[in-house]
Amino acid sequence: MNVPPKWADRFLEWYCNPDLLEEIQGDVHELYQIRLEEEGKSSARRKFLWDVFRFLRWSNIKRTKQTHSSNSFTMLSSYLKLGFRNAIRNKLTSSINLFGLALALGVAITIFAFVDYMFNMDSFHSNSDRVYQITNLVKNSGDNNSDNWSDSPIPLAPALMEDNPSIESYTRVEFEQGAMRYNETVFNESIWFVDPSFLDIFSFPLQYGNIKTLNNPQGIVITKPISEKYFGNINPVGEVFSIKFSNGTKEEFTVGAVLNDLPGNSSIRFDNLIAMNAFENLKPEDANDWSFFTDATFIMLKPSHQISEVSSRMDKYKSIQNEASLNWPIIEFKFYSLNGLSRKNNEISQEISQGAHPAGMIALGTISLMLLLLACFNYMNISVATVTTRLKEIGIRKVVGGRRKELIMQFLTENLVLCMGSMMLGVLMAYLFFMPGLSSLFPITVSFSTISLFDFSIFFISLLVFVALISGAYPALYISSFQPVNILRGKEKFGQKSLFSKALLTTQFILAFTTIIACFVFIANSLSLKNKDWGYDHDQTYVVPTENYETYIAMRDGVRQNKNILNYGGAVNSLGESATRTSVTYQEEKLSVMMFKVGFNYLETMNLRLKEGRLFDESIQSDHSESAIINTVFAEKMGWDNPIGQSFEYDSVKRFVVGVIEKFHYYDFYASVDPVMFLITPEENLKYLAVKVEAGSLTDTEDYLKSIWKQVAPDDPYAGYFQDAVFEGFHRDNNSNMKLLMFVSIVTILLSCMGLFGLVSYNITRRMKEFSVRKIFGASVNHIFKLMNKDYIWILSIALVIGAPLGFFGINSLIEVIYPEPIETSAVPFVTGIAIMVVTVAITVSSQIRRVIKNNPSQTLRNE
Amino acid sequence: MKGAYLGELEELILLTVGVLYENAYGVAIKDEIEKQVGRKLNISAVHAVLKRLEDKALINSSMGGATAERGGRRKRLFTLTTLGKKALDQANEVRTQLYNQIPKVALQFNTY
Repeated sequence: MNVPPKWADRFLEWYCNPDLLEEIQGDVHELYQIRLEEEGKSSARRKFLWDVFRFLRWSNIKRTKQTHSSNSFTMLSSYLKLGFRNAIRNKLTSSINLFGLALALGVAITIFAFVDYMFNMDSFHSNSDRVYQITNLVKNSGDNNSDNWSDSPIPLAPALMEDNPSIESYTRVEFEQGAMRYNETVFNESIWFVDPSFLDIFSFPLQYGNIKTLNNPQGIVITKPISEKYFGNINPVGEVFSIKFSNGTKEEFTVGAVLNDLPGNSSIRFDNLIAMNAFENLKPEDANDWSFFTDATFIMLKPSHQISEVSSRMDKYKSIQNEASLNWPIIEFKFYSLNGLSRKNNEISQEISQGAHPAGMIALGTISLMLLLLACFNYMNISVATVTTRLKEIGIRKVVGGRRKELIMQFLTENLVLCMGSMMLGVLMAYLFFMPGLSSLFPITVSFSTISLFDFSIFFISLLVFVALISGAYPALYISSFQPVNILRGKEKFGQKSLFSKALLTTQFILAFTTIIACFVFIANSLSLKNKDWGYDHDQTYVVPTENYETYIAMRDGVRQNKNILNYGGAVNSLGESATRTSVTYQEEKLSVMMFKVGFNYLETMNLRLKEGRLFDESIQSDHSESAIINTVFAEKMGWDNPIGQSFEYDSVKRFVVGVIEKFHYYDFYASVDPVMFLITPEENLKYLAVKVEAGSLTDTEDYLKSIWKQVAPDDPYAGYFQDAVFEGFHRDNNSNMKLLMFVSIVTILLSCMGLFGLVSYNITRRMKEFSVRKIFGASVNHIFKLMNKDYIWILSIALVIGAPLGFFGINSLIEVIYPEPIETSAVPFVTGIAIMVVTVAITVSSQIRRVIKNNPSQTLRNE
Repeated sequence: MKGAYLGELEELILLTVGVLYENAYGVAIKDEIEKQVGRKLNISAVHAVLKRLEDKALINSSMGGATAERGGRRKRLFTLTTLGKKALDQANEVRTQLYNQIPKVALQFNTY
């Protein structure tokens, strides 16, 4: 074989400009032949490769311009004019296209603004990339699971700072409650003890005063809402608060600074800040104790240092902590960057950062994508259908020398213009309706101003390109591919039998069914949660939190004298408000439980339901010290068939089970129900006074309790509440979710029916002559009806069979993520969703079929 | 375009195109230069220079003369244009003129 290496030759053919290929290839081949004779095969081959490689230069690669160049700029105006005329001619379909796209785009823009807002929480802190929260991954004493706690030992941060030169500063956060008094105004406020560098690490905007206030242990930093609450609109710097802390200590603090309203996208939210030094004065025994856990610890690295420099040296502290607190065996310290902390807050227990659950974000993103796709499919279907009237135009364009590329350009331009129009309409819709709507549902403000300009422009451009291509590419490519001869001879049959258009419509309805079933199942779930049994009756219960024993006793005495009050009881932890997680021992095994310390009669007052055994009895001596009441979950976890009389150990005291109560929800439905035990605690520890009130006298009783409070503790704020209110936040969330999903379902139905309407009405217009001829030959209304509906019934059934289960299982897996104990789904939402879809589709189609039936055949046929 | 100046290799190849007359194409030019000047060139360099010369309108080209060893591919044959001839003349003239101006003394080397 005396040919040069094939692959090199092919390579040359591939890269070389076809205009130059002949001479170049000829020359290298000729040289190869010469060398083959003179120098032998291997040398010739080698040199051939070298030559091919040397020819690889830009001047040989670049394709020379075609001599023909169309005047595309002039054509552009022609495209626009024609596109506009066409849009006017088909008013119905073009407005469906425009409005449908605008609707979907408006929703997409709103959801983007929302998700962007949630994902970029805390990014306004100028040091956010250097700030980390340290969390504690702790082995659960009960089982083999572990919990990632926001809390960490209080001396950890100072110790780290001393040992690591890469740490610039730290701040710890210790939550505290206190009654804050200024002159005659008293409220219970949440107060954070923080280290002085808190305001260096986090960049919260200052309204008045000095940012260095926290260096002074007697200083307090308040936020604007607090300032307005106590002082109105004046500058309060220098005013003095007297604060009574939860342990009864009273101290005075001078306002040193007022922070402006915390930015809406701050996931870290607080009311008042006091220096950590004040905490050290308040509880000196805890301040350096490795077994005392403070609520959060943040460190800030020096610029250009890595967190691994700190995280790799944590073993030392692990052993210190494990020695100090045996029942909190730490597995590791974890580090969370402030950027993204709000997204990961579901990984952390007792988290300080208030972000949304990422599942919600994912669901919203999916929803907006679905809506966009729906609108795009509508557009695709309708434009392919409408183009039948433009076949002649395409044919003529081709005959007079329009190339395919130009036709594609023409359709894409038209499409782009329409997309931009929809985009503007969509922005308007988002601005006027969707964003205010969303903001009213959730405690945040979604608006264009929260999005960074960069993110927004990127999103806008990619959205435009995405929508324009998805909706425009297929029609443009398909339409431009016809042969002009076939078009002009009328041979191009088109539209009716297009498999693609049917597949598209099916996909569209699959999406619609998926969304609707998903939404309806979720709504059904939310609805049933609204009425779900809490595990106890809460309608007639009122709770008063008290500050100290004296107040508690005084309130209790007052309650005894009121005949409207049927029962009362005290507790350290009140249902729905708080519970203490701890662990108990049974046969060497540990079990993690939620503990409620209560007084006698509390369980009766709260209407908890006894399953077996008895409730606490004051007259039985052992109930004061060693009896326990557990819930059914506790008994199941222990494997007790007959729990009464069983015993376990808590706090090195043997406890005997005297009663078992039914499962109840001690927080909201987001939290799962864990094992629970109730223990009796001496009356002087009680904090909450719960009262059961005669039906119909709730408000009277509230007034009565308030008046007693005024006499007993005029200095302290009154914070009584109806037990009903405990779930208020949950129900508000729930309602918002329902409204949101209701809206999405409506938009989905609207979009898919708009698409169907456009398509059907178009097809009918096109086939009007056919139907007229059929009518003349005696076709019955029934017959035509069947003829029309055959296709759509098939499409609908297929979509139903695929889409409904998809939506059902998709949403169920989401519900399981959000609610640990989902409701059994019934068939009702399923059937309702399907029925609504089918009915709307039927109405849409038959409204068009009426046109055929009413139509007078002679009118249609006379035209030609 | 860098003006009408001829580079050294450009001049050499332009001359060779003239020498080969009607038979000037890539491989032939490369061979001729190798034979007459003893300078080894890569064929791609020859092509690049030919293209540059054509851009400067110093040579014309046409396709023709397929042979078997080229796999039946035609050659691009180059011929001098009038402008090309002028450029050669000018280069030659400048060179001779300058050469003639060298003082005799400068060229008299004493050989002892």
